[in-house]
Amino acid sequence: MQDRKPRPRVLLTKSFIDSHDRAIETIALALRDAAMEVVLIDYEQPEDVVNVALQEDVDVIGVSFMSGGQVEATQKIVAELERRDVGDLPLVVGGIIRPFDEPPLIEAGVKSIFRGGAPLSEVVSTFENLSQSYRGIP
Amino acid sequence: MATQVGKQPGGAYANWQRTVVSRYADRSFVARNRSGVELQPVYTGLDRRGEEAEMPGQYPYTRGIYPIHYQFQPWMDLQIIGYGLPSQTRERMDLLLKEGGSKGYFDREAYNFIFDMPTSMGCDPDHPGVRGSIGDCGISVCKASDYEILLAGKDLTRTTVSMVLNAGSPPMLALYLAAAKRRGFAFDKLGGNVTNYIWDFFGHSGGTNFSPRGSYRLVADIAAYCAEHVPMWNTLTISEHNICEAGANNVQAVAYAIAAIIAVNEECVSLGIDPDRVVPRFGFHVRYGENFFEEIAKTRALRRVYAKVNKERFGCRKSGALQARIHAQTAGSLLTAQQPLNNLVRNAYGALAAVLSGVNGMTINAYDEALGLPTEDAVTLSLRTSQMIAEETGAVHVSDPLGGSYYVEELTDEIERRVFEIIEEIDERGGLIACIESGWIKQQVSASAYRWRQEIESGARTMVGVNKYVSDEVTEYQVFQPDPEAARLAIADLERHRAERDQAKCEAALEALKKASCDVREGRKIGSVMANLVAAADANATLGEMQAVLHEIFGRNK
Repeated sequence: MQDRKPRPRVLLTKSFIDSHDRAIETIALALRDAAMEVVLIDYEQPEDVVNVALQEDVDVIGVSFMSGGQVEATQKIVAELERRDVGDLPLVVGGIIRPFDEPPLIEAGVKSIFRGGAPLSEVVSTFENLSQSYRGIP
Repeated sequence: MATQVGKQPGGAYANWQRTVVSRYADRSFVARNRSGVELQPVYTGLDRRGEEAEMPGQYPYTRGIYPIHYQFQPWMDLQIIGYGLPSQTRERMDLLLKEGGSKGYFDREAYNFIFDMPTSMGCDPDHPGVRGSIGDCGISVCKASDYEILLAGKDLTRTTVSMVLNAGSPPMLALYLAAAKRRGFAFDKLGGNVTNYIWDFFGHSGGTNFSPRGSYRLVADIAAYCAEHVPMWNTLTISEHNICEAGANNVQAVAYAIAAIIAVNEECVSLGIDPDRVVPRFGFHVRYGENFFEEIAKTRALRRVYAKVNKERFGCRKSGALQARIHAQTAGSLLTAQQPLNNLVRNAYGALAAVLSGVNGMTINAYDEALGLPTEDAVTLSLRTSQMIAEETGAVHVSDPLGGSYYVEELTDEIERRVFEIIEEIDERGGLIACIESGWIKQQVSASAYRWRQEIESGARTMVGVNKYVSDEVTEYQVFQPDPEAARLAIADLERHRAERDQAKCEAALEALKKASCDVREGRKIGSVMANLVAAADANATLGEMQAVLHEIFGRNK
């Protein structure tokens, strides 16, 4: 039943050196409006993201990239997820994702890529679906 | 000749005429259009109260800060440049120069450098966790010798250097000054600016910065140092643009920008610095975005409010402290990844709004910036856009061409009224710093960004190619790819630098910087942080090493 479903818990994050936070702040508000619980942090080390994800018991991670580091940071997060034995925790990336970033991101296993102009409704439903399938909710 | 309406003896027009004659003698600024009609450099009449209208170059500068503007001196084209290593950016600089860009005032060369995010935040390339961003989206610079490569062979007394960066601004200025010193250039001949976005972390600048109070203290320190030693240097850019780009509407952005000036001025006054000494070197960075007429009206309102605040609230008397110099930039947040060529047109409208507003400098974004770093073709097209406006459209012949328009004048007054309302609210909330610390400003900006996004979602606001006139056709565009080797090379270079320098001398300079920082934090010896930063940079301290000292003493925002 719809109302028995737990609220999706989402970690949204970007690097501490990236000052462009309009997109991630907007996504955070949209997910909260869709009744999700959102944790929003800047990370210093990509690996730190996994610590927070585990502490906060989230079921999706969204990483924003507006000015570099797309592939390198994502690969580090994925490696840390695997090292901590949570390789199936879904990861979504968004922002300026260039054509040459895409193959290594997909290879790293990101579940979805959102660029500027992507409809918020699509972003919301992607997070919802990923959360439900991670929690094993049909 | 009979006296015309709005041109009384001793009135605004007569005063303007007298100023023009005294400044330019008998030089004529009359142009002629293709039909042969003579065009005066400015038109005037009665204002909405029925009085003789203010003229350009007259307080409160609604119509512009110069009596004669583009007719004498066109805007400075400052396309943003920067990627990879200093040597790679230098190649792009040489290309722009060859294409007729990089033009500063009075035949100077001008460059608008953007740094990669680690540099922008004051981190060296070997800072843990930043490797993937090195040389991506900006130049990697961390030592004085990097400027010797970037600006090799340039006469720095004939080169205007603009540096766009966030928390790394204070040590970055030091690296440049140290490099200039080594090459024997006198500081009082150096011109340029550092954006010094260290005050700006409630809007566009998320991420790590100084504590709010530490930021404003450092802004005052840099301003005081430069007023004495580097008097032509523009020490602070208040970025209305960044606040808008973070999602604020035009009224909010102008109000928060003015509130930032108020906070800086209050900090200066509390430290015993006369605003007339430092304010003339502050400037604005303004965004030209989606609403053509509102952009023009907001610029006029911003100039007026700035003049009134500095004069009435801070008692400034120097004209330079009352005149808002404006660097325009088209709106990056309106650039779409969908149908990217549409952005060329958006940028051109933004740039035209800026020109009709009477701005001093211009950055026209590249159409492909929603896809990645701009390609050379895209950068050249941005430059061509500016050149077409300047040399083909005739938009430069008449100053404040929309002055007197019922619509634009009403909108200007309304924006001014609303801006003062917000400033009053900020005052009531204890001032800007308190509003930053409480999160109020950030919340206002984010809410405004979200509303904008919801209007796009619902279709209430049209974005061509995004929510209307959408095309399924996928076109492959060339996207600029920075050198993936840049990170390795930058780190290797930094290691070599550290190994070769006089370590004891460098450490002593950093120790002196720490001592000066403690003094300045306590309100003593204002200007000594910047002086010691320059000495440390000259002793081969790196950007990140200097920043670590500043962060320790002035605190971080998170």
